[in-house]
Amino acid sequence: MEITRRHFFSRTSTGIGIAALGSLLADDGFGAADATGTGGLPGLPHFAPKAKRVVFLHQSGGPSQMDLFDYKPTLDKFAGIELPGSVRMGQRITGMTSGQSSFPVARSIFEFQRHGQCGAWVSELLPNIAKITDDITIVKTMNTDAINHDPAITFIQSGSQQPGRPSMGAWVSYGLGSENRNLPAFVVMLSQAQALNPDQPLFSRLWGSGFLPSNHQGVRFRAGSNPVLYLNNPEGIDPGTRRDMLDAASKLNRMHLDEFGDPEIETRISQYEMAFRMQTSVPDLLDLSKEPQHILDLYGPDCRKPGTYAANCLLARRLLERGVRFVQLYHRGWDQHNDLPRDLALQCKGTDRASAALVMDLKQRGMLDDTLVVWGGEFGRTVYCQGRLTGTNYGRDHHPRCFTMWMAGGGVKKGFSFGETDDYCYNVVSNPVHVHDLQATILHCLGVDHLKLTYKYQGRHFRLTDVHGQVVKEILA
Amino acid sequence: MAVRLFLALSAAGLCLAADKPVDFNRDVRPIFSDNCFACHGPDDKHRVANLRLDTEEGLFADRGSYKIVVPGDPAKSRLLTRISAANKAVRMPPAQAGTTLTDAQIDIVRKWIEQGARWERHWAFVPPQRAALPPVRNEKAAHNPIDRFVLARLEREGLKPSPEADRATLLRRLSFDLTGLPPTPAEVDAFLADKSAAAYEKQVDRLLAMPQYGERMAMQWLDLARYADTHGYHIDSARDMWKWRDWTIGAFNRNMPFDRFGIEQLAGDLLPGATVEQKLASGFNRNHMINYEGGAIPEEYQVEYVADRVDTTANVFMGLTLGCARCHDHKYDPISQRDYYRFFAFFNTIAEKGLDGRNGNAAPILEMPTAVQASEVAWLQQAIAEHEAALAEKETQPLLAAWQKTRVDTLPQPPRDGLLAHYAFDGNLSDSSDNHRDGRLIKGVTPFVAGRPGQSASFNGEARIEFPGFQAERFAIALWMRSGALSEMTVLEGGPGIEIGIEESHPQPDAKRGSPLYVEFQGRRWHSKTILFGAQWHHVTLNVEDGKPDLILDGARVAMDAVGPVAARPFRPMAIGDPHNDKPLKGDVGGLRIYGRTLTPAEAEALALHEPIRFILTQDESKQSKEQKQRLLDYFLTYDATADLRRAYRELNSLKQRLAQVKKDIVSVQVMAEMARPRDTFVLGRGDYQNLGAKVTPAVPALFPPLPRDAPANRLGLAEWLFSPQHPLTARVAVNRYWQLYFGIGLVKTAEDFGSQGDAPVQRDLLDWLACEFQSNWDVKALQRLIVTSATYRQSSQVSPALLEKDPENRLLARGPRFRLPAEMVRDNALTVSRLLNREVGGPSVFPYQPPGLWEELSRGETFTAQEYHESQGPDLYRRSMYTFWKRTVPPASLTTFDAPDREKCTSRRLITNTPLQALVLLNDPTYVEAARVLAQRAILEGGNDPQARLRFLFREVTARRPNQSEVRILLDLLQRRLDHYRKEPAQAAKLIAVGASKPANIEATELAAWTTVASTILNLDETITKE
Repeated sequence: MEITRRHFFSRTSTGIGIAALGSLLADDGFGAADATGTGGLPGLPHFAPKAKRVVFLHQSGGPSQMDLFDYKPTLDKFAGIELPGSVRMGQRITGMTSGQSSFPVARSIFEFQRHGQCGAWVSELLPNIAKITDDITIVKTMNTDAINHDPAITFIQSGSQQPGRPSMGAWVSYGLGSENRNLPAFVVMLSQAQALNPDQPLFSRLWGSGFLPSNHQGVRFRAGSNPVLYLNNPEGIDPGTRRDMLDAASKLNRMHLDEFGDPEIETRISQYEMAFRMQTSVPDLLDLSKEPQHILDLYGPDCRKPGTYAANCLLARRLLERGVRFVQLYHRGWDQHNDLPRDLALQCKGTDRASAALVMDLKQRGMLDDTLVVWGGEFGRTVYCQGRLTGTNYGRDHHPRCFTMWMAGGGVKKGFSFGETDDYCYNVVSNPVHVHDLQATILHCLGVDHLKLTYKYQGRHFRLTDVHGQVVKEILA
Repeated sequence: MAVRLFLALSAAGLCLAADKPVDFNRDVRPIFSDNCFACHGPDDKHRVANLRLDTEEGLFADRGSYKIVVPGDPAKSRLLTRISAANKAVRMPPAQAGTTLTDAQIDIVRKWIEQGARWERHWAFVPPQRAALPPVRNEKAAHNPIDRFVLARLEREGLKPSPEADRATLLRRLSFDLTGLPPTPAEVDAFLADKSAAAYEKQVDRLLAMPQYGERMAMQWLDLARYADTHGYHIDSARDMWKWRDWTIGAFNRNMPFDRFGIEQLAGDLLPGATVEQKLASGFNRNHMINYEGGAIPEEYQVEYVADRVDTTANVFMGLTLGCARCHDHKYDPISQRDYYRFFAFFNTIAEKGLDGRNGNAAPILEMPTAVQASEVAWLQQAIAEHEAALAEKETQPLLAAWQKTRVDTLPQPPRDGLLAHYAFDGNLSDSSDNHRDGRLIKGVTPFVAGRPGQSASFNGEARIEFPGFQAERFAIALWMRSGALSEMTVLEGGPGIEIGIEESHPQPDAKRGSPLYVEFQGRRWHSKTILFGAQWHHVTLNVEDGKPDLILDGARVAMDAVGPVAARPFRPMAIGDPHNDKPLKGDVGGLRIYGRTLTPAEAEALALHEPIRFILTQDESKQSKEQKQRLLDYFLTYDATADLRRAYRELNSLKQRLAQVKKDIVSVQVMAEMARPRDTFVLGRGDYQNLGAKVTPAVPALFPPLPRDAPANRLGLAEWLFSPQHPLTARVAVNRYWQLYFGIGLVKTAEDFGSQGDAPVQRDLLDWLACEFQSNWDVKALQRLIVTSATYRQSSQVSPALLEKDPENRLLARGPRFRLPAEMVRDNALTVSRLLNREVGGPSVFPYQPPGLWEELSRGETFTAQEYHESQGPDLYRRSMYTFWKRTVPPASLTTFDAPDREKCTSRRLITNTPLQALVLLNDPTYVEAARVLAQRAILEGGNDPQARLRFLFREVTARRPNQSEVRILLDLLQRRLDHYRKEPAQAAKLIAVGASKPANIEATELAAWTTVASTILNLDETITKE
């Protein structure tokens, strides 16, 4: 019987972000309508996890590391001077600046100060993140293979520059399943830019399931009256009517099951019940009216405006609280090719407070210990100026060789800084962390060996980290 | 791990009865492949211990003191001792390999050696042989050869086939399978009433002859061809490939032989004397994604396009994972990296650019004008050539030169009467009217750049200039402006409480975005009727008199609509940039003049038309730019040349405009076309475009027979080679995919991988027999007919617990297929049974209901296409789902929820999921709510007077079968409760029946609403969305 049921469930996959095999093995009986979690693959996690869940605050566009975290007083000396060839070493640059006749160094015009016991340098643009430096690990030596948005953001989310692979959240959903039957394992929320220059687009492949069954793709939670696509009953159908319809459908389906014997019908019945439960659980989740004033104050006034980064951060906490395994935020607008001083300041103003608030809020609830928070973009920005360099204005192109991310909770060190870049903030001097290393490390925090979480497709056992990736042991607590 | 273990068990469970001989290909090779080949396989560079287990020589080689495999002697076979070693340090595969052999697998290897260790080439690389039909005990049960194979196997397994499905169920199954649409009750009735022996076959022929057959077959092909309506990467703007899509539908309907079909899809452009249709067919390999992200490197993406063609071609036609050899030799199949790049070379000589597609289709393009368009283009081009000859430079240049010398003195002067201030922005902010009302920079910088009339000031969104205010009831403001963005922005504010700006942009008929100009004054607001586009210079003269503005744009009066009251603006200094409302100007302003009176149209014209020319004429001729010279010529030929020249010039411009318009309306398609000088192909180290290795020429992988000596070494040669009789894969892969269409799973489960990592065929004799049959004439319809007329296909899909346990996936086919419908059919079914479906075949893609904002939240916006979703109107809302506009980065949500792929890459099979999100779509998507209401209308209007009759009508329309008494009871009870409910809540009823674009029928709202809930319930049943 064991094999039969496994066979059957290899045919289709059920649930939203709930791995089919796991849900069955964990439940011992299909269609059970309990609200307990559903596990992922048998044997996972591979070892005791430090983090039960992840929130990835993706800053789309590539925040400027030397204007935010990677303080380079040496640049004052080099300002306006041509970037030496010995630093650039012929590394490729994007088509947007490869035609520039000169590559003058642009120093950051922003003030930096040391913060916290750890004394981490943080830019004046991030006064709130500056207050949590003792809770986070700052990684200054992130590096990636891609130099443009589409491949770079696809790379950091799926481990491959080209489309087609599952996103990180989908892998986690596949491997670990959900802790809450009534909510997806993998939730995605977007917020729009503050910067005035045009945004870079995003793609649904970034939370897609690639070759994994589509039930592992991220479920978008959106601002507005219909937070999950098609969640609301149509006008004129009240909950009583809906319940009545579902009861009738369920009876008819059950009679049909008796005749045809296909267990898929049983699954369908339980999925309809789960849909009905979601219609209650999701609005409840989104209802911020029970959040006390001091929490709303912590995230700032924007958190009352649905769809803002602040609102999404607060919702992220509520999702994590309810056992959502992987929450992915995207905030657009970090692509400062020109007018960096103006636009970067606007971006920071729109995100600094809420990012810090999320960490503090998780901490005060005791959730930070088993929740991993990750902040960062798909690449960094060049030390040389794109366009005209003046005393007050400059732009920066994409830079893959080094950029800064920070992580908090869930098994990483507190008040720690990892890796050093050179005086130009161009190359890594020590302790590089490649995107695949970051992915391996995030999985490690979740108790997953990145070498062993695989899926066979087109004859190959694919994994998130492709054929690369090393866990960055040094940043683990 | 567990998943892999289970897959192995499943193969063993189905394929290996305990006492049966071990089959190397079926039982042993998969174990070696998955566990050993990575280190001991075809990859020359990464082989360990100089040991190969993927070849006969490797397995049986004498290695001096020992042998890897000694047939008949497991104990002497080093292979077995190593894989079964108790000592972990010795045991293979090693711990770090990540794979482990189960006891069952080790046992299979042992038995294989015991039984003599017979080795065979990988089955899929050996051409199929037509097997003799196996004997069966129950010959009556076999309608055709397929059944003989299936039945023989069932008899061996001790299983009995299921009886034939009842006719209603069978016709519904058949209709979905052959046309993608359900049968009408009338069609079911006709079939039920047909007592002839060939009743079923008649239905098959009827369905195969419908135009919807071609659509259904094309649906599968679109997944394989990664067909979409956008380019896919980054900006993801629109392309036009629908002509290719329509070619594909037509080819299936005409029953084009599959070899012809494949050759034209791959190389139609290379056929001798290729027709337009053949060139069009070659669009198959231009459906891949195309990038033009600013900053991307062309060479990088050009390589990706070719790699995509290689992956897709190998996958679709050969079931090969050739892409695995892009970075290194294939780990599992005998395909070297050099083989890969020689195959790559076939597809690397397309006249394409690495970055392209910004303005629609990417080169190479095939234009497909209608006959009318073609003749119109021809005569327009002819007429343009004639006019251009009349206006030849050698004729006009002397005239222009003479004119230039004198014209500056006679040009109308800018008006000076009543001039309060004039800012030329030619390097400073001073007032040149002698009134000393100089402007000053409050913040930021405003570079002075070449603009209109001569120079202008550039605003980046943060600078602000203030000018002394003035108070007047009657005044004029004149300025040049050019907006650099498409969002709402204030151009000028203050003075006597006036504000001039640009409205939020909106898509205009030709897909560009544009905005009206707005004016606010004394608490009122107006919008211009004329639309302004970004990045273009405009001259604005605003006369204000009696509290009302009068707009003269580019020298011509423009009407304005009053749009309502706004907050009155106080008197303030006049300012440009960074205004009160936080919507700063991004763009340029030039030639600002303030008058204490209104300007006449002639005066406004002097500013708009003549002043910029005056500026150029006053410049030294040697300093005039090319663009300025062109503007002088334009001015001269428009206003000052002889009447003949002026007329010729006017006509020329109008002809050019017409040509541009006609050309814009001509549909084109991306196709294959070879470069004049073919690009060289190199082996790319680690697949990296920068890492060029040895130069290679086109060739097929060495494991196959080579191209015939007289065949061209190009795509055409390759395409013809694929369909040569000795090709081991093409026919097998094709029939397997058709099998998958009907039975959900192919005879080879991994339809995309026939290599050694793929699943062994569950019935190789049947697969090979079908392949040989198909290969004999490549008749696609005949193959479909063969499959659907088999007794195997026609079985009931009811399943007993015992059979479910023995064969949960129905690989042995002791019952009929039962699967949830593909995404497109789920929706098309609802549209069909409600009679909303628009059956038009082909044409541009359409935009059915979609929740608002899905595209806009992710897109770049600006002037790119396919950034905003504009719902279709009328019948286009109800086209078949395959015509839904497919935007790759945001594919249609209600279809992807039912496992439709995003079409970024070739998809050979869709996995089927069963999720609560699907329930939400079927319950709440307006598509299904509207379909339920229209269906309810039909039940009320056509189903008879008594509720029970209506209900039976409704149920049968949706499911094709008659409901039983208990089913009727449950639904009638629901109806009664809903009627009671809506009678109490008539407002709710009115809302429910208003969902959707179609108007509800003239039926009492409460009754219609109650029936709508019943119809919706039936549309949500498992059997409704299932092929039974």
